[in-house]
This record gives sequence, structure tokens and C-alpha cells, in this order.
Amino acid sequence: MDRFDRRTFIKGTGIAGLVGLAGCTGGPTGGGDNESGGGEETTTAGGDTTSESGGNETGNESADGGSSGGSGSDVNVGVVYATGGLGDGSFNDQAQQGIQQAESEYGISYNEAQPDEVSQFKNFQQQFASSTDPNYDLVSCIGFLQADALSEVAPQYPDQSFQIVDSVVEADNVASYVFKEHEGSFLAGQMAGMLTTSSFSAGAGSTNEEKVVGFVGGVEGELIGKFEAGYKAGVKNVSEDIQVQSTYVGSFNEPSGGKEAALSMYNAGADIVYHAAGNTGTGVFQAAQEQGAYAIGVDRDQSVTKSSYQNVILASMVKRVDTAVFNAAEAVVQGNFEGGSVTTLGLEQNGVALVYGQGLKSDIPSDVKSEVESVRESIISGDISVPSDPSNV
Amino acid sequence: MSSETVRGRLTDGELSPQRVAGLVAAVLLAGLVLWGFAFPETQAGRFVAILTDRSTLAATLRLSVPIAFAALGGIFAEKSGVINIGLEGLLIVSAFGGVYMADVTGSVWMGLAAGIVASTLLALLFAVVCIEFRADQIIAGLAIWLIALGLAPFASQVVYGGPNTASVDTVDAIVIPGLSSIPFFGALFSATPFVYLMFGAVAASWWTLNRTSFGRWVNASGENPKALDTAGVNVTRVRYAAVLLSGVLCGFGGAALSLSIGQFVGSGSTMVNGKGFIAIVTYLFGNYNPVGALLSTMLFAGLDALQLTLQARDVFAVPQPLVRTIPYVTVIIVLALFGRTRIPKAAGEHYESGDE
Repeated sequence: MDRFDRRTFIKGTGIAGLVGLAGCTGGPTGGGDNESGGGEETTTAGGDTTSESGGNETGNESADGGSSGGSGSDVNVGVVYATGGLGDGSFNDQAQQGIQQAESEYGISYNEAQPDEVSQFKNFQQQFASSTDPNYDLVSCIGFLQADALSEVAPQYPDQSFQIVDSVVEADNVASYVFKEHEGSFLAGQMAGMLTTSSFSAGAGSTNEEKVVGFVGGVEGELIGKFEAGYKAGVKNVSEDIQVQSTYVGSFNEPSGGKEAALSMYNAGADIVYHAAGNTGTGVFQAAQEQGAYAIGVDRDQSVTKSSYQNVILASMVKRVDTAVFNAAEAVVQGNFEGGSVTTLGLEQNGVALVYGQGLKSDIPSDVKSEVESVRESIISGDISVPSDPSNV
Repeated sequence: MSSETVRGRLTDGELSPQRVAGLVAAVLLAGLVLWGFAFPETQAGRFVAILTDRSTLAATLRLSVPIAFAALGGIFAEKSGVINIGLEGLLIVSAFGGVYMADVTGSVWMGLAAGIVASTLLALLFAVVCIEFRADQIIAGLAIWLIALGLAPFASQVVYGGPNTASVDTVDAIVIPGLSSIPFFGALFSATPFVYLMFGAVAASWWTLNRTSFGRWVNASGENPKALDTAGVNVTRVRYAAVLLSGVLCGFGGAALSLSIGQFVGSGSTMVNGKGFIAIVTYLFGNYNPVGALLSTMLFAGLDALQLTLQARDVFAVPQPLVRTIPYVTVIIVLALFGRTRIPKAAGEHYESGDE
């Protein structure tokens, strides 16, 4: 009997603790966060070219507008990042790059919030939307997990402009930006398929005899499914005989799981693994390095953001989250922000692209590169249609 | 009332429902394995091939490290009468501390040391609150978890500008020539130093608990603190030592977790992601025996490694999200069938030495 009491107690207090945790994480951090956002550049965005100037500015008030040489706009943007947080070397860092670009070009100011839990999205969105000092002209919500919260919050603040990246929220004051991840992933698959069937050796890895490649996903769903579908279709476009192994780790923050998932693939003969798993992907790169094999990064040029893995990152399927964030901020500055619109960024709009890794790009054979380029043109012209659902591959 | 007696009769007899169910499960598993060996081309055959693959064992060992260390820590604390459900928190701070120090000094071993120090300090706080100020152990344990969950990402935010740290070097596997080429078990001889440390810690913990006077004091402090007190041993000091020891062990686990990846990931539930809570289950399942805890940890970690491979090879025609639940479902079943945990009598109770 004693044991039962204790277990129920643990359960009860556990739930109470979780609720408490959700409640006490506080609101968006203002200027302080911005300062550390500036410091972040030094650690993660080493060789990045486009955003360095924006990143060096640590303050967020009027001094910025003057020094950055922009038009000195007084537009204020609130950014709510996805749960991965800054320093993920991919999604959020790239969104930050976009807002920093807007800061340096238009002199806008911005504040950031980094939620740790899905339950905090609503809270942060509301705090930005209801704030009057400063008044935010745009609230940028990064990541598809914010869609549910935003579809509740947006109607409550009809005069506030919102932006959502990676999902569509149907409201008159929300501009939605989505990407054709499957198109970019198709190119990644095309490259992986061509390399695994040829003998390739460069950097810290080499391909093997087996015709196997891998895919590691974060959490199952429509979004990551697009990556998987495009990648598989790209591989199959090279040869139907190539086997694609695919595993979902179930979290975007579990690098140890990502490492084991990738190791299992490499041990089964895979030589190239593509990940769409946020922080979990760090484990994939580590596994590639240990096994002398290759990986393909995602969202951002990860051979730059994760430069210690440069010798195994063949390429990254870059998603220009920065373009989406920058475009929305630009639209607000220029007064042509369109609520209710859905902007789709594919290969054609340069919203997604396959960017070869800094360490290996010169070693990738030119026939692979030219084939990838011609496939890209075929996708843009519509000659190749890329599935967005893995069950249709 | 009547069902109670029926149940009592059944459990007294040779064929308790638990045993029958366990037997059936064992027979089914044995059948599947035999079937797999006999027909290697079938689904069962591919399953057995994965099961007996040396990389599955290697993955199991790596995934076991943080859980096993935390479980050992939990055993010491709880055996001494202090229920430490803050293991998760201790893992989190040591995971961050380890990477931070490794980043600053460039040495993985300094990182490991810093992880242990960070975890031990937090354990000291827990010990002071529970033993000195007689706080409820469960609530204090939860507080430790919540503090760590906020503190580590915050520290990372201050140092690295985001909840995730920079990357640091990792350690290479130590390969013992000859032994490492044995099929399957060769994985035991080609592993990271952390895996060997885990085995060392399990052996040392077993020896300490069963063969030293400190081990007997820890046992007595959890079972009958009054007797220990009467024998002239200071219960408070034994409990302090045990809780601090749990901090040291968790420090090994957390630092090993982050240093084997080379980065601390602090967003969401952090990279520890519930491993401390799994550890509580494994030591309860292992009935406070370090070896038992290691075996149950390896059962869970092994199933976790297995499900990742099963997903990739697409062995069973089951949706991937269901494959991912295999470890949890199996652990619950095994726990229900074989779990016989006897909690130390005085666990969770504050002990105060009688006045002279």
C-alpha cells in the first residue's frame, strides 16, 4: 500500500510541477535578450557573411537606426522563435539572420522571445501583440508548431500584423510563408543517389559499394514528411535500386538518439544520411565523422554553422527562413504588408536550395553538380513533379 | 475481499498469474528467435539479425551510460532513506557543466570533472534542504529538476547566446585489440571510456553497498535509522554522504551524455529528455541492486536502439510512431509481470536523532 501512495504522489506532483513550469517561464525578454543575440554571432555564425554587420549591434534602440545606415525606420518587430532556440545552427539562427538583415537595411528594431515549450507560444505572441511600449508593427512567429496558438491569438488582435513561417494560418492579419521543402530535398536525394552509386572519397569520408542512403527525421508530421518524400523521390530518380532507410527520432532535441539512428544506418551500409531533425541532427554529423561517411545538413549551410563537421557535410538543403522574415519586415516598412496572403517559396523563388558544403564543394564531381542543376531546372519548369507525402513516393 | 483471497492463493501457489504470463511471454520470444534463426529470410529472421548485430549492443551500451549512472545515484540516495527524484536535474546541470568546462579548457576530462562538481553542488543543495531543513523529499526533488531545467539553458544563454552550446571535441573509443573482433560481444571491447566507467561504477557500487561498512550504514539508514543511531553512527552524516554520492554519479552520467555528443542542447526538455526519470524506473525495477539496475537499464536502452534500427530497416509493417513506443510498452509489461520492488522502510521519512 505504501508503495502505491508514493507512486501516485510522484505522479501528482510531477503534473503539478509541469504546470508550474509552464506558468513561470515568464514573458519575452526585451533588450537583454537582444544583447546576447548579438554575442551569439561569435559562436555559431563563424563565417557568415550576410548578417555580421547586423549581429555586431548589441543595443536595440534609436542608436541602432542611426549607426546602421539604413533609412532609420521606426518599425518594431517582435520575433517568437521555434522551440529549438538560438544556436541551433539552423532554423532559428537563420530567422535571426533575416531580422538582422532588416535591421541593417531598414533600421528597424526588434525584440526576441525564445520559448522552450509549445505551451509558451501563445503567451509570447499575446505579449508582443498587446504591448504598447514599444508597439510592435509586426509579430514574426517562426515554426509550424506556432500555428495553433496563432490561429487563436490573431483574431484577438485584429489590428496587429502577424507573420507565420512554415505554416498557414487563415486570418486577415496573418501573412503566411511556406516553403517547398520537397523540391530542395529532391536535389539532396539526387546528389546522394548519384554519389552512393559512384565511388567518391573526400574529406573525412568515402562512399561504399552498398546502394543504401538514409534519412533521419525529427518528429513525424506533414512538414518533415515533405523532406522525406522529396529526398526519397530524388534518390529514386537516380536509380530504383537504391534503398532509402528512414528513421524518426521523435524529438528535435535528442542528439544522442540522432547519433544512434544514423550509426545504425551507416552500419547497414548507408554512406550518406540526410537529416531534417534540428538539434538531433548534430548526432547525425557526429556519427558520420565516426564512421567515415557523409551527411547532408538542413535549413542552413550547416558546414558553416557546424564548422567542426565540415569534412563530412556534403551539402545542406537550405531553407531561406531569413528571406521570409526579411520580406515580411520589408513589406511592413514599405507599407504593403498583405494580411491573409500565403507566400510559397520554392526552388524558383530561391526559397529553398541545395548549397554544397564549404569543406567538400570543390571535391564533388562536376557531373553530379551539373545533373543536380539540370534537375533543378526541370523541377522549376514543371517537367519533374515532386511528391510532398512520403507515402506517394 | 474474496478476490483478495483468491489472489493470495494464486500467488502462493506455483502458478501465479504473473508467472504464467511471464512464461508465455518468454516462450513467445524464444519461438520468434528460433523461427528467425531457422528462416533468416523472413521478418523474424531479419529481426533476429538486428537483435544479434554487434552494433545493436554497441548502441545499447552508449545509450545506457547516462541512465545507468543516474540509477546508481538514485540507489545510494534512496537506500539511505532520501528519495532523490531530482536525478534528471542533476543530469542536466552536469551535461551543461561538462561541455562548458570542456569548451573553456579544451579537455574532455576537465569537462567530466566540472560536470561532476556541478551535479554534486546541486545535490548538496538538495541534501541541505531535505536533511537539514526537513523539506519534503519529493517536492525538493522536483524543485531540483525545475531549477536545473531553468538554470542550464539560462547559463547557456548567457555564455553562448542561446540554449545550445558550441561544439567541443569528443573522446574516441578505446579498442582492445583481439577481443574487439569477437562477433556481437566485441562491442564490449570497442567502446568509449564512459562505457567502461559505467561498468566500473556498477561494480564499485555493488561492492560498496554489500561489502563495506559504509554500505551497511547506508542500508541501515534507510531501513532502520534508529538502530543505526543506537549503534553510534550518525544517520545525518550517512545520508549526506549518500546524497552527495548520488550527485557524483549523476555527474558522470550527465557529462558523459553531453561530452559524447560534444554539445549541450538546452531547448525543450533539454538533451537529457527524461533519462533521469527512466533511471528511477530502472533502479526500482532492479530492486535497488546496482547489477539489477544495470540490466534493466540495458533492457530499456537495448529496446531503444532496436526500435531505431527497426524503423530504418522497415522490418515490420507497422507505422513508425508505433515502433518508437516499443521500449516504453515493453518496460511497462516487464515491470507489471516481474516487478517486485521492496522499498526501504524509512525511505522518504526524515530522521531525527533522539535527545540525550
